[in-house]
Amino acid sequence: MKKFVPGTIFLVFFLLLAPVMAAECRQWEALFFRANQAYKEGRYQESIDNYGKLIQSGLKNGHIYYNLGNSYFKKRELGRAIFNYERARLWLPGDADLKYNLAFAYDQTRDAVIEPQSLVSITFFWLKEVTLIEVFWGFAIMNLMFWGILFVRLFLRSEWTYYLFLVFLVFWIIGGLSFGLKYYRAETDDRAVIIKNEVNILAGPDNHDTVLFKLHEGTVVHYERSEDGWSLVHLPDKKRGWVKGNGIEIIRKTRSTQDSPRKLKNRSRNAKEN
Amino acid sequence: MKKTLVLLPAFLFFLLSPCLANTHINCTIRLDRHKAALMDSVKMVVTVSGTKKIDSRPVLSGLEPFDVTQRGSSSRVEIINGKLSASTDYIYFLQPKKTGIHIIGPAVVRAKGTVFKSNKERLIVKKIVPSSGSDQGPLFLSAGLSAKKVYVGEQAVYTIKLFHRARISNVSLNLPEIKNIGFKQLGKPSEYQSVYNGRSYKVLEVRYALITSSNGVFGIEPSQMSMNVFQPRRQSSRSLFNSPFSGDPFFNDSFFSMSTGRPVTLASKPLELKVLSLPKRGRPAGFSGLVGNFQIESKLEPSNIKAGESATLTVCLRGRGNVNRIPDLKVPELAHAKVYADEPVLKTETDTQGITGSKTMKWAIVPEKEGQYRIPELPVSFFDTKNHGYRVIKTAVLSLSVLPGEMGEVAVLTGHEKKKGPPSPAKKAVKEIGHDILPVHTSINGLASVQPFLPRNILSLLFMVGPLFIYFAAFFALRYKKRSKGSSAAVKAKKAAKKLTQKCRGKNFSSGDLILYIRDYLNERFGLSIGSMTPDDAIEILKARGVSDQTAKKLQVILQGLESSIYSGKGQGPVDIEENIPRLINKIERELR
Repeated sequence: MKKFVPGTIFLVFFLLLAPVMAAECRQWEALFFRANQAYKEGRYQESIDNYGKLIQSGLKNGHIYYNLGNSYFKKRELGRAIFNYERARLWLPGDADLKYNLAFAYDQTRDAVIEPQSLVSITFFWLKEVTLIEVFWGFAIMNLMFWGILFVRLFLRSEWTYYLFLVFLVFWIIGGLSFGLKYYRAETDDRAVIIKNEVNILAGPDNHDTVLFKLHEGTVVHYERSEDGWSLVHLPDKKRGWVKGNGIEIIRKTRSTQDSPRKLKNRSRNAKEN
Repeated sequence: MKKTLVLLPAFLFFLLSPCLANTHINCTIRLDRHKAALMDSVKMVVTVSGTKKIDSRPVLSGLEPFDVTQRGSSSRVEIINGKLSASTDYIYFLQPKKTGIHIIGPAVVRAKGTVFKSNKERLIVKKIVPSSGSDQGPLFLSAGLSAKKVYVGEQAVYTIKLFHRARISNVSLNLPEIKNIGFKQLGKPSEYQSVYNGRSYKVLEVRYALITSSNGVFGIEPSQMSMNVFQPRRQSSRSLFNSPFSGDPFFNDSFFSMSTGRPVTLASKPLELKVLSLPKRGRPAGFSGLVGNFQIESKLEPSNIKAGESATLTVCLRGRGNVNRIPDLKVPELAHAKVYADEPVLKTETDTQGITGSKTMKWAIVPEKEGQYRIPELPVSFFDTKNHGYRVIKTAVLSLSVLPGEMGEVAVLTGHEKKKGPPSPAKKAVKEIGHDILPVHTSINGLASVQPFLPRNILSLLFMVGPLFIYFAAFFALRYKKRSKGSSAAVKAKKAAKKLTQKCRGKNFSSGDLILYIRDYLNERFGLSIGSMTPDDAIEILKARGVSDQTAKKLQVILQGLESSIYSGKGQGPVDIEENIPRLINKIERELR
């Protein structure tokens, strides 16, 4: 009897919430149509506002970010367009429209910043086309099949189970490595996009510091940390410097892009030493 | 069969005749050189292309100062890329009668009642051969330059002439190597008759354009020409006709009596060329180093289009000089129009005067809105070697009228022009003439909040950990099961010694019983199932399990004693248990550990 109690509570909760959820869905749809209509009629600021409202209300998916990116692009805000396309890519990495528009937007940027391709990226080329969740479920199925064949072999040690085990072992290893790599990349994604037309990258977090170089909207940088409204960023070629915090947008808030207590502690210690 | 042979050419002629009729007729005059001496023979070729049939031979004007000899004609028909072309060459040899600058041409031809005129050519005739030979005998080589002073990038023509009065073969030429000066041969070597110092010579002339790349005074080392020289066998004194070389000591050499020929190498005199640097004064900005004489042409086709359609702007720069330095022009950005540049086409040709060529550049202009578009002039600067100064030539200002475009018109075209008529087999790459992003996603199917990252729920955890857990649970269960089977045997073995000791403590058992007790002990201890056992079997079993020989023999002695008591009839009654049996079993157990 005890087993049924959590299930019953969930069912009652769901039945109570269902009408509320349906109403919310209708609201989303209405807002979505309004945003699309505004885009079609060239009222890009209105479409940006409506897509933004959808995201704020909790509707986060690749299509909304893609549409928002399109609206910003039409409004000639290249940095924000690329930022939203990159966000959309977290959900829709294989979407052909998104890939085309993102490539087109990158083509419009002014800075020649090229992310080097590592051997791992070339080897695991398919990871660019799938989301983390897809890799996860792929690996979960491989996992199930691998341990399943091992289970069968406990009772049936025939030749075909051995060969099947070898095949599953290979897929299990590839799936595991892919999942691990994708997870690592997602968790250490520190990319940020320059959203201002032109920003100065300074030697320190102060307006009086030396200007090291300039970056333009749409350029993707790597975020390191923030300090007093300034962000420390670096380029793939290891050029580093500080940019005013409102000049960039971090694509994905991860543990690596958030200041951990240890980082803060280290920073205060460094400040004292200085 | 005969009919077929007759009909086939007729049929071919029938097929080709419309093509020939439709081709444009062109007439040109070519001279093999533009400078000659009196009594030299100059070859002139009048080419009539575009038709095989003309009403009469070309009528030439300006030939009064020459003795003209006709040397027949040659016709050819070519089919290139499916296009049929026909041409006829009429060959003449001109021998100047007086010095001066003579204008030859135009040649006039009539075809189907229409008159076509050719170009004019200029021939300078001097009294003497403007060259200095290294040998004034029957065979000598001369070299000359068209100019002694040139600018960097300007061409000078280097002419080598072989004067000979004997038959020659296997002629080869070695040119000098000069740093910063390159040689480019101008056309094929020409052969003609000339008179030098009152003697008639055959002349083999080769021309090279000297391409200069830096200033300075350059010494041109002698060019060397190698050949085989032949002389007919000596004629006898009774011959009616004396050889023209009979009085020449060169040909009186014994070698010339042979018909095989003699290898001879001749060298020209060294020359000097002064290359001047281009003046800095008055040099236009963006000067590309173009030197020579050039003209520019431009056209816009069509000049009236609809918005979204494309018009082609063509600019052609042609002239004589270092044509490879013709710059790629850039059309400035036009408001509300997109401009797509095509790959420029550079064509280089050579004639007796040097290198000529042209560069054709094309742009597709796609206006986005209706209105009047003005294409500004495009300037090109070059150094004019005739006027010794820089010149800037410009294209004309062109205008493009654009009407409103049609709604829904496809903006992507293949190539710059849409051709009518049958499709060409050669395919062209599709060029994008418009760029924009793809539209927004409007489907509500995907309108739900989706988590692209790692799921943190029980189901995903079960999928990842569940199979592993199930497998290991099954694995350990099976292992435990196996181990439990094995442990019961070990417990049994441990208890075997205890059991035997307990049995030995009992009373009233015979020798036979004791043997059976010992057999049971060994069976249980070692997991055996022996029915009957001799003392020798027992000792073997113990030794195999690591019991020492001494201990094993002790048990053998006891067992032998028990057996002998059975066979001697003493074993029927109860036996006294020797104290040493339990002690011996303990010892065996210790040794087994």
